[in-house]
Amino acid sequence: MKISAYTLLTLFLFSFQATVLSSFNPFGIQPDFCLVIACLIGFRTGPVHGLIVGFGLGFLQDLFSAGPFGLHTLTKAGAGFLAGIFARNLSNREAHTALVPVMACSGLSAMVFLLWSRMGMGLGEMLYGFSYILLPQAVLDGLVAIMANWVFGRWLVEAPSP
Amino acid sequence: MRGRFRPGVFWGSGVMRVSVAVLAIAFVVVALLPRQSQFLFHALGEPLADLVAIPVKGMATLDRTLREWWMQYIALQGLSQQNRQLRETVQQLNGEVNRLREQAYMAERLALLLEFQEDKSVRTVAARVIGRSVSNWYQGVILNKGEDDGIREQMGVITPAGVAGRIVRTSGSTSTALLTTDPNLVIAGIIQRTRDEGMVQGMSQGLVRMKYLPPLSSVKTGDAVVTSGLTGGFPRGVLIGEVDRVEESEDGLFRTAQIVPAVQSRHLDEVLVVVAPRSPETMLSPDHALIAPGPQNPTP
Repeated sequence: MKISAYTLLTLFLFSFQATVLSSFNPFGIQPDFCLVIACLIGFRTGPVHGLIVGFGLGFLQDLFSAGPFGLHTLTKAGAGFLAGIFARNLSNREAHTALVPVMACSGLSAMVFLLWSRMGMGLGEMLYGFSYILLPQAVLDGLVAIMANWVFGRWLVEAPSP
Repeated sequence: MRGRFRPGVFWGSGVMRVSVAVLAIAFVVVALLPRQSQFLFHALGEPLADLVAIPVKGMATLDRTLREWWMQYIALQGLSQQNRQLRETVQQLNGEVNRLREQAYMAERLALLLEFQEDKSVRTVAARVIGRSVSNWYQGVILNKGEDDGIREQMGVITPAGVAGRIVRTSGSTSTALLTTDPNLVIAGIIQRTRDEGMVQGMSQGLVRMKYLPPLSSVKTGDAVVTSGLTGGFPRGVLIGEVDRVEESEDGLFRTAQIVPAVQSRHLDEVLVVVAPRSPETMLSPDHALIAPGPQNPTP
C-alpha cells in the first residue's frame, strides 16, 4: 500500500514539477519540490522512507535531466535520509521545524551540483552559482517546506512520536 | 530540540547501516567511474523513461489546455461592465477572437517551422517542448520526440530564430535538450562579418559568451554570431546571437565577446532537431549562411 502510494506520489510530483510548476520561478529560481517532499517524508516518517522516496524522485528527475545521470538520484536520496536523521533529534515536528533541515539538505545537494557543473569554469561562475542559485534556492526550499510541512501535519502524514 | 545526536539510534538498525553504505558506495562509484555509471544508469532508466513520459505528456497537455482556458477566462472578465446583451455578444466574440488568435499564433509558428524545414537543406524533426528542467543547475527542456523519431544524443536543436541547444539525453518517445545559455554547452561559432572563429559557451546569468577570439579581431557590438559547422550537430550559418560587448580575456591572449542569444529559452514552444546537419548535396561555401540574422523568436 505504502509502495503504491509512494510510486503514485513520485510520478505525480515529478510530472507536475516538470510541466505545470516549471514557470513558477520567483526571482529566477525554481524551488525543488521533489527535494522538499523527499526531505519531508524523511522528516515525518523516518530516514529510510525519505531515502526511498528521494531515490525514486531523483531517478525520475535524472531520466529527463540535462545533467549527468545519477546526481539527482543520489542527492535526493541522501537529502531524504539526512532529514530523517535530523528529525530524530527533534521533540516536535511543527511546521516551522522543517525550515533548517530542508535548507541544509537543499544547500548540501546544491553544493554537489555546484561542484559538478561549474568546476573548472572559473571562480566567477562558482561564486555566481553559490550566491545567485545555491543560497536563494536553499531559502526558497526551506520556505516551501514550512508550508508543505504544515499541510502534511494537518491532513496527510501523521508524524510518529519521536 | 534535544540537541544531542544519538549514535545508538542512528546505527542501531541494520537497514540504516545498509542504506548509508549503499549511498556512500553509489556516490563514490558515480564520482570515480562517471562513464560506466552513466551507462549503467542509462541502461536501467531508458525503459522506464517511456513509461514516465506518459504522465508527463498528459500533464503537459492538461497544463496547456488550462492555460489557454484561463487566458480566455481572464480576457472575458473585462467585459462585465457592459450591458447583458452586448456582454454576451462580446464574450462570444472575444472567446472566438482568442481562440482564433491562439490558432493564428500556432499557425504562424508552424508555418515558419514548415517553411524553414522546406527551404533549408538540412534534415530536421519538429518537436514540441512538453517540460522544463527541474534543476536550476542545468537549463534544459524536455521534447515530445525521441529515438523512435530518429533523434539521437548530440544533435543540434534550432528554431527559425537560431540555435536553441543540443540533445543530451534520449528515450524512445522523449528527449532532453541542453540550452545554449547553459554553461555546460559549448558550440563552435563564427563572427559573421569578420569570419573570426571561437567557442560559444553559456553563462550562469542567462547570457552567452564567445571565447578565444583573436586579439586583433575587429569584432564589435551588433555583429551576428553564427555556427561554424565545424562541430557536429549544427549546419554552418545558424544564428546564435548578437554581440553585446567585447572585452579582453584575463590572460590578454584572446578577446571575449558577450552575446545576447537569438533564442529566448523561456519562450520555447516548438523546436527543430537537426538530424542531418550536412547532406552531401548541400555542402556549403564558407560564406554561405543558412539563416540570416532575422527577427527574434516569434513564439509568444
